[in-house]
Amino acid sequence: MRAGLACLALVPALAACEGRQSVLDPAGRDAAVMAELFWWMLGGAVILWLLVNGLMVYVSRLNRDALSVRAATLLVVGGGIVFPTVLLAVLLSYGLSEMPRQLAPGTGLSVRVTGELWWWRMEYLPEGAETPVISANELRLPAGSRSELRLGANEVIHSFWVPALGGKTDMIPGRETRMSLEPLEPGEYRGQCAEFCGDSHALMAFGAVVMEPEAFREWLEHEATDAAPPATEAARAGRAVFLAEGCGSCHTVRGTPADGTIGPDLTHLAGRTTLAAGVLPMTADALKRWIADPRAIKPGARMPGFDHLGDARLDLLAAYLEGLE
Amino acid sequence: MFWRQPRDRSLWHMILAPTIWALHFVLVYGVTAVLCAKWDAADLARLTIFASTAVALTLIVAVGRGAWRQWDYLDGWDDIHDRPTDNHRRRFLGHVGFLLSLVSTIGVIYVTLPAVFVETCR
Ligand code: HEC
Ligand SMILES: [Cu+2]
Repeated sequence: MRAGLACLALVPALAACEGRQSVLDPAGRDAAVMAELFWWMLGGAVILWLLVNGLMVYVSRLNRDALSVRAATLLVVGGGIVFPTVLLAVLLSYGLSEMPRQLAPGTGLSVRVTGELWWWRMEYLPEGAETPVISANELRLPAGSRSELRLGANEVIHSFWVPALGGKTDMIPGRETRMSLEPLEPGEYRGQCAEFCGDSHALMAFGAVVMEPEAFREWLEHEATDAAPPATEAARAGRAVFLAEGCGSCHTVRGTPADGTIGPDLTHLAGRTTLAAGVLPMTADALKRWIADPRAIKPGARMPGFDHLGDARLDLLAAYLEGLE
Repeated sequence: MFWRQPRDRSLWHMILAPTIWALHFVLVYGVTAVLCAKWDAADLARLTIFASTAVALTLIVAVGRGAWRQWDYLDGWDDIHDRPTDNHRRRFLGHVGFLLSLVSTIGVIYVTLPAVFVETCR
């Protein structure tokens, strides 16, 4: 409601404040703190604005006589020195007191996220696990506990940001930065790269799914398994095309000879909510469009187009990939 | 040395407080960076920060007291010192020095605040 009103008043032209990628519609503890801080700041700014302009009206319209030296000094020292110093100290202290919590170590799961051009490598390490569960382009977290994020990057700097869950943190090549998130409400949200990183920076997003802890555990168990064997005739033929066309030199599909690591892991591709890092829906049609000409969808994408395959074989590929639940 | 210079002419007394603030800033940031990067020694870093803050604030208060006397505000409760005379120049420099001490005090405290709340190198 509050968010709705502010939307109406402030940013009618921008996307709605409610939604999957909104700072003002928090679904996690860290984001809630920031949203609250924003409302306090906004309220304070409005009051200050009214005060300053009220003062202007007062001295220029209502009372044009000179102020007494005493009143003027009080105004300058009180309003110009004491008030901002105290106010800023309070705000700074509040912000700083909140920082350690947002950097607190996770209590179980940790996820290593690597920024690539222009997609996200995701590696899940549940508590005590030695080898990570490898996935891509979608972040899933259990609700109600604090998970650790270890961030890195290849080649250029990116920034990791899921506005509904928390603040953003830079991802820097050759260095591991970290943050932690405590999502509270299960649901589907959206993350976005927040540091310009090249042609398709704006198209470098991802689905962020918060799940009940039990459902998350089951999902992760499934994510760790090998790919499901093709179930239909078309899917079987599609797998043959996939292997013959050399998709496997860049993509891994566990349980098949495809073991490339240049592009996103496709083992459970169809289990994701979006295709190509948050820019397309996960449908057969979108899959065909993507494989035929990735650069038409994401400028500069580091995957060659396969439009020479023709409609029939693209259909088969789509049938195979759609079966990778 | 500069503190021997006559107060109606030397600019040193005026900028002494911000200079202490600047040194404190450099020291705090430098020491914290090195201690955290090399040994992850957050406790030692915080201790150093608090100790150097205590020293810096003491020095700034001392400088501020000197400036306050130099301004000589209580002598007539006025801050009129706009004539080109030694007396007015001395009081003007004192006035500025006093205000800069105030700003420097606030600056040093703000620089220290993060160490009060953040207890790790992360
Ligand atoms: C030269 C390496 C390379 C080859 C060969 C390649 N890809 Fe890709 N592929 C990529 C890269 C890199 C991306 C990520 C692009 C982006 O999102 O910017 C990608 C993304 C994808 C995605 C989206 C993944 C996701 O998580 O949403 C699909 C599906 C895909 N490729 C299928 C294929 C198929 C099918 C073939 C073979 C016909 C193929 N790729 C061949 C490099 C390659
Ligand atoms: Cu990026």
